[in-house]
Amino acid sequence: MADFGDIVDGVFVLSEEQVKIRKYGFSPIKASGIPTVYHAGDVVNLPYSGGEKSSIEALGDCWSAFATGT
Amino acid sequence: MAKKNGNSFGSFNSFSKSKSIEPKGITPIRTEFSRGSIPDSIYTSNRESAWSRWRRGFEIYSNSSIGEVYSYPFDYVIPVGGAPLTGNQPRIPGLFQGFPTKNKELGMHWAGVRLGGSLRLDNIEDRFGTKASIASVTEDEDFWYVQLSGSWGPFPFTLPAPLFVFTGPNRPPLYPMNGEIFETRIVEPGGTPITSETIDPTTQKRYGYIQAVVVETKEETGVIKLQKQGSVESTTDAVFITPARTSPQIGRFMMTGTRYCCSCQDFTRRDYAYISQLGSTSNQKIFPRTKASVIKPGRFERMYRGEVVTGFGPIPSVRPKLDEQGRKIPDDRAMSKGTEDRAMEVIAPSAEYEIPPQVTPTSDTQQGATRDRPGMFRDFGGVYKRSTPLPSLEGATSEGMPTFNDYKTKENEDGSYEITSLTDFWTPLLDEIRYCKHIYAMKFAEKVFPPEPSDFPIGTAEGLVEWEQQLVEKTNKDNEKANYQIAVNGLAKMDVPPYNCGAPMMMPMAQKLFNIPSDFVQMSNFRMYDKNGKEYIPYEGGRPGT
Repeated sequence: MADFGDIVDGVFVLSEEQVKIRKYGFSPIKASGIPTVYHAGDVVNLPYSGGEKSSIEALGDCWSAFATGT
Repeated sequence: MAKKNGNSFGSFNSFSKSKSIEPKGITPIRTEFSRGSIPDSIYTSNRESAWSRWRRGFEIYSNSSIGEVYSYPFDYVIPVGGAPLTGNQPRIPGLFQGFPTKNKELGMHWAGVRLGGSLRLDNIEDRFGTKASIASVTEDEDFWYVQLSGSWGPFPFTLPAPLFVFTGPNRPPLYPMNGEIFETRIVEPGGTPITSETIDPTTQKRYGYIQAVVVETKEETGVIKLQKQGSVESTTDAVFITPARTSPQIGRFMMTGTRYCCSCQDFTRRDYAYISQLGSTSNQKIFPRTKASVIKPGRFERMYRGEVVTGFGPIPSVRPKLDEQGRKIPDDRAMSKGTEDRAMEVIAPSAEYEIPPQVTPTSDTQQGATRDRPGMFRDFGGVYKRSTPLPSLEGATSEGMPTFNDYKTKENEDGSYEITSLTDFWTPLLDEIRYCKHIYAMKFAEKVFPPEPSDFPIGTAEGLVEWEQQLVEKTNKDNEKANYQIAVNGLAKMDVPPYNCGAPMMMPMAQKLFNIPSDFVQMSNFRMYDKNGKEYIPYEGGRPGT
């Protein structure tokens, strides 16, 4: 079961080896964890429950506020 | 006759010698685009070709210039008014994707992605608490008419914002969601979006889903009109087909699909000045200019120094700062700090703008009607599709490449020809978003093979192999050069999102990407993720890990 905010569909999947050998040229920069969070084409799981303000409701509030001249 | 030496004053030769004192770097204006050639209809057609963007986009994708290196993932927290919210905050997840570009001033075009599933209709309810699932579907040749569950009626019982926004009596309402891609991927309220592979446990077959563009919203009846043309279906065999042959599934909830926007000139239809070209000897433009003939009724933006204020409404909004004389302070800087907000004012045609059906000497013109801003606006063409509504349906015949045999003639007795009929093969869909090559590249990266536009460039068909080979080499060379330039010159902290999100080229893109009024695009609400996936807030001085 996917948690809130999880990516549930996408094609950009790095193998363990790709994550392990990540380098930035010859610089000493180190990286850990998942390289990037989101990628083009990802689908996210955002199920807001009752009592929470969902993205579509908040967006609607913004448009309504805009329409009334604020 | 004595030979004249020295001063050549009075001689006609002096006219030809005047060439030698022509200021270096000033060259005649030859064409609107590129160099040398003279614009004509074929030139224009090729320049505007969407197919060319599609093909170049594939090349950019293949050339691996996109990837994690210039990706800036974010969550944009939507501002709300009142007391702080508890639980999960309303947000828009997405990323800014950089495309190294050798011709651009700062070497990078920034495209934006809003992830699929950001907005879901299982959070839309009528006044009785009924959630807006798909209750029924009717269809005609071109559209599906999706009836949403719930009791909908005249205002205030209409579909809620943002599907429909009431602006007041006798004022045109807003429909912000028209033009969005909707997908039927939510099976139950609060459920996880299904994928192409998700199995329905009751049938042991894949669910499948469709995606289509919203073209109309009927707020009082609760009907969403979806366009069949360009729709995509993920079949029960996990194959993508277009157009979809299945109607939107009854009982499902719809959600938004991936939304793309870009800051490049092609997508924004805005032009830039290149300061680096001042003094250059190339004949590229130094100052943006626009031919009067291509200026159309349209809109443009003005940027002002801004600040987030409360008290103007229920939600804190960005307002222009005023100087001592009470005037707004124009601010067109390309870069700004992560703590500065800009106010964007959109100058658009008034609702009174009308084009009379026939222009006569007595036609009235609207003096105050807004037109595009010369020097800023540049039209790179519209979206053209074949006149056949569903060319990929069984039994339909593709029209093939344009032949321009768009007329019929008959031969007269005297050997002359007479045109008997004219046919237009093309159907412009003016309101459809036109993709640039960067967005096409991301759609290829998404593994969604975007439908091939039909406006094939003229003169390319014969030498397609050679043309494509040159494109491959040119793309590779350009990418190498662009990446080298960025590697040498570097990107300043303020060259990258979200620091540059107040720039005149980025703010309109962000507003379109989020599909939110620009008053609510606020720097304090960007949550960025660094290379380790750790969150940082630039507005609060946060920085990515090094």
